[in-house]
Amino acid sequence: MVEPSFSLSELNRQVKNAVRDALPEAYWLRAETSDVRVNRNGHCYLEFVEKDELGHAIIAKARGVIWGNTYRLLSPFFEQETGQQFTSGLNVLVQVTVDFHELYGFSLTVVDIDPSFTLGEIARNRQRVLKRLEEEGVLRLNRELELPELTNRIAVISSPTAAGYEDFRDQMENNPAGFVFYTKLFPAVMQGERSEESIIAALEAIFQHGDFFHAVAIIRGGGATSDLSCFDSYNLAANVAQFPLPVISGIGHERDVTVLDVVAHTRGKTPTAVAEIFIAHLTKTATELDVLQERLVSRTQGLLVEERSDLLSLSNRLVHHSSLYLQRETAAIQQLATGARHSFRQVLQKEFAYLQEAMITTRHSTRRLLDEEGHRLIQAKRTLQHSSRVELRDERHFLENVEQFVRMVSPANVLKRGYTLTLKDGKIITTSKGLQEGELIETRFRDGDVTSVIQSTGLPSTESEV
Amino acid sequence: MAKMSYSEAKKELEAIVKSIEAGEMDVDLLTAKVKRASELITFCKEKLTTTDEELQKLLEEMA
Repeated sequence: MVEPSFSLSELNRQVKNAVRDALPEAYWLRAETSDVRVNRNGHCYLEFVEKDELGHAIIAKARGVIWGNTYRLLSPFFEQETGQQFTSGLNVLVQVTVDFHELYGFSLTVVDIDPSFTLGEIARNRQRVLKRLEEEGVLRLNRELELPELTNRIAVISSPTAAGYEDFRDQMENNPAGFVFYTKLFPAVMQGERSEESIIAALEAIFQHGDFFHAVAIIRGGGATSDLSCFDSYNLAANVAQFPLPVISGIGHERDVTVLDVVAHTRGKTPTAVAEIFIAHLTKTATELDVLQERLVSRTQGLLVEERSDLLSLSNRLVHHSSLYLQRETAAIQQLATGARHSFRQVLQKEFAYLQEAMITTRHSTRRLLDEEGHRLIQAKRTLQHSSRVELRDERHFLENVEQFVRMVSPANVLKRGYTLTLKDGKIITTSKGLQEGELIETRFRDGDVTSVIQSTGLPSTESEV
Repeated sequence: MAKMSYSEAKKELEAIVKSIEAGEMDVDLLTAKVKRASELITFCKEKLTTTDEELQKLLEEMA
């Protein structure tokens, strides 16, 4: 007995029917996109994969398709909502029908997409990466670097052909203040799977130039939104965060803040914005310089004005006080002079008065003295005249008496009356003492002398009266 | 001054301006200090707006 059997197409039709019967509706599927490609007809073919918890091994896989007419609607919607191109490596929530085709086999046909899921997934991934950087203590390293005041040597990481790079250069070169910038391009792939590696290599090349550069700009051409996933990569973020120069990001998307933007020193939304950041920084630097110059000029002028006014005030004070002093001194001297003249006059007057008085007194007393003396003289004269007369008379008496007496006592008279004089050797002697026997003595009488020899000496026998 | 960095020049300039503002400056010193300050300002401004050919050359030779 021949067992009933299916041709392949019969079997596949059975499978197709079974799948359709078992899974008749559209189902929401969580999966990661892979191998996304769009053919000429606008149909998008891709793989849906599911990885194990560590994100390494693929544990489920299914083919998928988004038909052209659907894709034309879904793709811009998704980009608009997520700021992210519909591309490989995205965690997506899509509504699919499950199909089995006799010829093409199992596939999932996408009929709708929920961008918010992807957004959430991207955000969750960013949070994971940021948390890890934080835990490693590198998250803020680049942000903490200081942009030097003079930041004008700039290493640029960009795709050389990107429109954004041209915008950046234009902006820098034509800055209105005429600041000089020295920019150097370090080319890198800015999109797709190789971009992470390529940007890190560019950073390493810049690092080789040591401290020549002041800052790094990572810019990416504008235009349509595109794959940003590399800017959320841990490796790139860790490199940028720990780079010794400030990194300014400008990767051309408005809405999302990628991990790169977070770790970068400063985030510019577009390359043009990055150029503006550098220009604004130099403007600030130049302004500070202008302010310093202004302060210098105004303070110096102020100082000079102050000094001048100080000098003027000093000189005014000098003149003022000098003349005051002179006035005062003059007044004092005048006063002194007046005083001196006055007191001199007073002294003179006093002296004069004194002298006059003295003169008068003198004259007066002189006159009185003279008068008195005159009186006295007259008196004396009178007295004298008077007493002279008396005295003359008395004198005459006296003289008459004396004359009488003298006459009476004269030796002749005495001798007349019987007295003699005894002489020895021609000299009158009045004593017998000293006379020796045999010596010669003379005796004078009234009428002549005799010489005798002494017979004896001795005391008289009787006292005789004269 | 040629070897001076911008920030060094700026710092020196700031110090001069501050000391003038503080009124610590002797008038005799003022002239010299103002002259120095002007040189520093010129130096800084040049750094901002005048292309250093040597730097430009270095940049172009960079691989």
